[in-house]
Amino acid sequence: MIARLRCIWLLVCVSILVATQSLAGLADQVVEKTFQNGLKVILLENHKAPVVTFQVWYRVGSRNEQWGKTGLSHMLEHMMFKGSKRYSAQEFTKIIAENGGNDNAFTSEDFTAYFENIGSDKVHVLIDIEADRMHNLVLKDEDFKTERMVVLEERRMRTEDDPQGYLVEQLQAVAFQTSPYHWPTIGWKEDIERFTLADLKTYYDVYYNPVNAFIVVVGDFRREDLLSRIEKAFAAIPGGSAPDQKKDVDQPQTGERRVYVKREAELPYLVMAYHVPNLRSPDGYVLEVIAALLSSGKSSRLYRSLIQEKQLALSVDADNSLLSRDPNLFTLSAQPLAEDNAAEVEKTLDEEIERLLKEPVGDKELEKAKNQLEAAFVFGQASFFYQGMLLAQHEIALDWRAVDDYIPSIRKVTPEDIIRVARLYFTEDNRSVGRLVPLPPQEGKPAPKEMPASGRVIR
Amino acid sequence: MAGKVKGCLRACFGKRGLLLVVLFAGFSFTPPVWAGSTPPAQRIVLPNELVVLVCEEHSLPLVVFQLLVDAGSRLDPVGKEGLANLTAHGLLLGTSTQNVAAINEALDFMGASLNSSAGRDFSVVGLQVLKKDLEKGFAFLMDTLTSPVFPEDEIRKETRKILGSIQSSDEQPMALAEKTFRKTLFPQSPYGQPVEGTRESVTKLSREDALQFYRSFYHPHGAILAIVGDITAEEVRTKLIPSLAKWPGANTSPAPFNATHAKGPQLITVNRQITQANIVLGNIGVRRDAPDYYSLSVMNYILGGGGFGSRLMEEIRVKKGLAYSVASFFDAEKYQGSFQVVMQTKNSSARDAIALARREMELIQKESVSEEELRRAKAYLVGSFRLRLDTQSKLASFLTQVAYYGLGLDYPEKYPLLINAVKSEDVLRVGKEHLHPEATILVVVGNLKEAQMEPPSTSR
Repeated sequence: MIARLRCIWLLVCVSILVATQSLAGLADQVVEKTFQNGLKVILLENHKAPVVTFQVWYRVGSRNEQWGKTGLSHMLEHMMFKGSKRYSAQEFTKIIAENGGNDNAFTSEDFTAYFENIGSDKVHVLIDIEADRMHNLVLKDEDFKTERMVVLEERRMRTEDDPQGYLVEQLQAVAFQTSPYHWPTIGWKEDIERFTLADLKTYYDVYYNPVNAFIVVVGDFRREDLLSRIEKAFAAIPGGSAPDQKKDVDQPQTGERRVYVKREAELPYLVMAYHVPNLRSPDGYVLEVIAALLSSGKSSRLYRSLIQEKQLALSVDADNSLLSRDPNLFTLSAQPLAEDNAAEVEKTLDEEIERLLKEPVGDKELEKAKNQLEAAFVFGQASFFYQGMLLAQHEIALDWRAVDDYIPSIRKVTPEDIIRVARLYFTEDNRSVGRLVPLPPQEGKPAPKEMPASGRVIR
Repeated sequence: MAGKVKGCLRACFGKRGLLLVVLFAGFSFTPPVWAGSTPPAQRIVLPNELVVLVCEEHSLPLVVFQLLVDAGSRLDPVGKEGLANLTAHGLLLGTSTQNVAAINEALDFMGASLNSSAGRDFSVVGLQVLKKDLEKGFAFLMDTLTSPVFPEDEIRKETRKILGSIQSSDEQPMALAEKTFRKTLFPQSPYGQPVEGTRESVTKLSREDALQFYRSFYHPHGAILAIVGDITAEEVRTKLIPSLAKWPGANTSPAPFNATHAKGPQLITVNRQITQANIVLGNIGVRRDAPDYYSLSVMNYILGGGGFGSRLMEEIRVKKGLAYSVASFFDAEKYQGSFQVVMQTKNSSARDAIALARREMELIQKESVSEEELRRAKAYLVGSFRLRLDTQSKLASFLTQVAYYGLGLDYPEKYPLLINAVKSEDVLRVGKEHLHPEATILVVVGNLKEAQMEPPSTSR
C-alpha cells in the first residue's frame, strides 16, 4: 500500500498533503484542458500513494443503441482489447501486466470506460496504447466471433441464470418504453447473436472520437509532465464530429405497471421503481437524502421495520440514480424471507412511502441521514479509482464541477423538501413493480427448450 | 451516493481468496526506499498480549480499525457449524449498557460503520470512523468487543437471518458449487463446512453457545489490532491504549484441528434448470507457511491466476470463447487449504472446458515454463503489490494478516526477493507436486442433461 509507502518512507509528502487535500472542494484541485480535437483531460493530483488511475471515458452506452442492435456498446468494449494498429492484443496485455498494472473496462447505459491502475512511475507505458485504440482499433471477424461467444456466456451468468438479474431486466423493460433505458446494457440475447462486425465498425467510427471522449487521471503525478505526455499521444488524433446524444424520454407514466417472473429460485425478490429526475434537478439531491433515510445503515427506516422488527426480509435497499445522463429510476428492493411474506413486504414498503408523504422527518433523523451521506463521501475518497469515477460520472451526467455541489446540496434539504418531492414522484401511477415468484428446483427434469414465455414481456 | 455503476465489467476473474489478493504480491520492483531499519508500521504489544499496529496516513480525515481475533469457524464444534459466525454477528446485538437499537442509531448518526464477521481462520471486527468522532466510535468498538450480552431475542432474529442467507446463497449456482467442493474435499474437517453453517446446524445454535464461544476465544492473546489513518502514535497511546489495556487477558490453549482431506477422482453433480455449468475442479492445497508458497504463487499466476495473461484464460476464453470467467487459485490458510479452477460455461461446453483445464494443469507439470513467461509473472506479482494496498482499509487488513500468519513486518521487503528467487525448475516441481489433474474433485452445478453428465454414476 501506498498509504504506507508514503506515511513511512516518504514522510515529507504526508505533511504537504494535509495542507492541500481538503474536502472542501474537490473540483478546486482539478485541472482541465481541452485539446483542439475536442478531447478533454481532467487531472486530479493526489500524492498519498505512488499509484495512478488512468481512465478513458467514452460518451457511449446502451442508450446510444438502436432496436435490434442492443448490446453493441458492450460488445465493442470487449473488442477494444483485441488489438489496435500499433499494439496487438498480446502486446497490450503483456505491457500492462509486466509493469504491474491492472486494467479493465466497464459499460453502462450512459458510458463505456477503460482504466489502468498502475504504479506512478509506469504510467507512461499505457498512454500510447490508449491513444492508439481511440482511433486505430483493428476489428477482425475471427476475434469478433469468439468474443461474441464470451459475451453470451457473460449474459448467461448475469441474467439468464440469475433470477434477480432477470427480474431487474424485465422491470426496466416495463418501466421504460420509448427511452433506450428499456433494454439491458448487455443487450438482448437475440441482438447479440444478430449484430455484425460491420455494425461494430460503424459504431466505433461514430462514437470513438476525441470529441466524444475524455480522460480522467487521479493520483501521484506532476500535472505539467503528465499533461504534455497525454497531449503528445492524443492531441494529433483527428477530431471528428460530435454524435447526436439526444435520446427520447418516456412520457409521464399514467398508471402502475406490474411484471412477474416465475422461475427456479430459493427466495422471492421484489422491486418497486419510480421515475425520478437526475442531478439536473435539485430534487435529485432530495432523493439522495430520502434513499439514506430509507436504507442507509441498520437504524434506517426500512432496515428497522422489515429486517429488525417484522423480520420479513433478508435484505432491503433504496437506490437513487442521481448520476444518470437521462432521468432514470429510484428503486426500492427487498428479498422477502418466504413467498408468503412477499405481499406483506410490499405492504410495508407502501406504508414507509406513505409515511414520507405525510409525516415531516424529525430534525435528528434528517441530520443523521446527511451525516451518513457526508461520511460516505469522505470514505469514498480513500480510493483514487473511486475519485476518478466520481468526477467522470458527474462529467457524463452534467459536468465534473458538479461534484462540489453534492455535499452543499445535501445539506440544504429540509423536511418540507422531502414531503414535496416524495409526493411528486412516489405515486402509484408513476411506478412499476416487479416480483420474482420462486419455483422449487426440479431435480433431474430436463430443461425447457426456451425460457417460459411469461418471463419476457416487452421487447 | 449514487455512484453505483449498473454495467458490465469486462473481466471478472472469478473468486480469489482474500489471502491471495492481499498476500500474493509484493512491493514495487523499484528498490524500496526503506532499507529495513525502520518498521513499516509501529508495533506495540500490550501487557494483555494484544498486538497493536499503527500506521499514520493523514490524507483524509478518517480512521480505520481492524481487529483480528483468533476465533474463526475452524473452531466450530462438530454439529455447531456457524457458531463463530453467529458469535461475531452477536457482538453487535447489544452490550451490558446499550441495546442494539441504541448502538445502530449512534453509529449511523456519526456515519460510521462497525462490522463483525467470521472467516475460516479468524474473525474480524472493523470500524471506519471520521476523525472528529474517533473517541466516540472507538468506544463502541470496545464496548461491543468486551461487553456483549447476546440478547436472547436478538440472537433468535439473527439466526433466522443467517438461515435466510444460506437459503439465498443456494440460489447462486457458483456459490453452491464452491460449497459442494469444499464439503467433498474436507469431509471431516471444519474447513469443509461453510462459515455461516448449514440449515441443520444453525437451527440448533443458541445464545448460550455464542456466549460460550465468546468466552473461550475472544481474548487479546493472539489478537491483532491495526489502526490506519488520520491519527498519531501519540493519540493511540493516550486516547486508545488505556481502554485496550483493560481488555482482560487470558491464556487459551491451542484447539485441536482435524486437517484430513479427501482425494479424487470424484465427480459431484447438482442438477439445476440453468443455462451454464458452474464448474469447480481441484485438489488439496497448501498451508500459508508452506515453503513452496512463493513458487506456487508464480506457477498459479501463469496457469490461471493472472487474468488475461494466464494460460487458462487464453485457452478457454480468448481462443475458444467458452467462458466469461475462468481462474485458478490456492487458498492458503493456517492449515492446508485447496487448489481450485473455477469457471462457468454453457452446459453443452462443460466437458470441453473441463478437458481444457485438465490439459493446462498437465502441461505445466510436464514442460518448463519459458523464461519470458517466468519473468513476466514475477514482474507482475512484484510490481502490482502497491495496487493491492492503496487505501486505508486495504492496508489495515494487510497489516493484521501479516501479523497473523507470522510473515514479519519486513514482509514487503522480503517478498520481491522470495518471488524473484523462483526458477522455472521450481515452477515445474510445484506443479507436479501440488496439481493432480488425474485425481481432481470435480463439481458441476448445471443442467446435467445438456451437459451430458447425467447420473447413474453421480450422487445428489
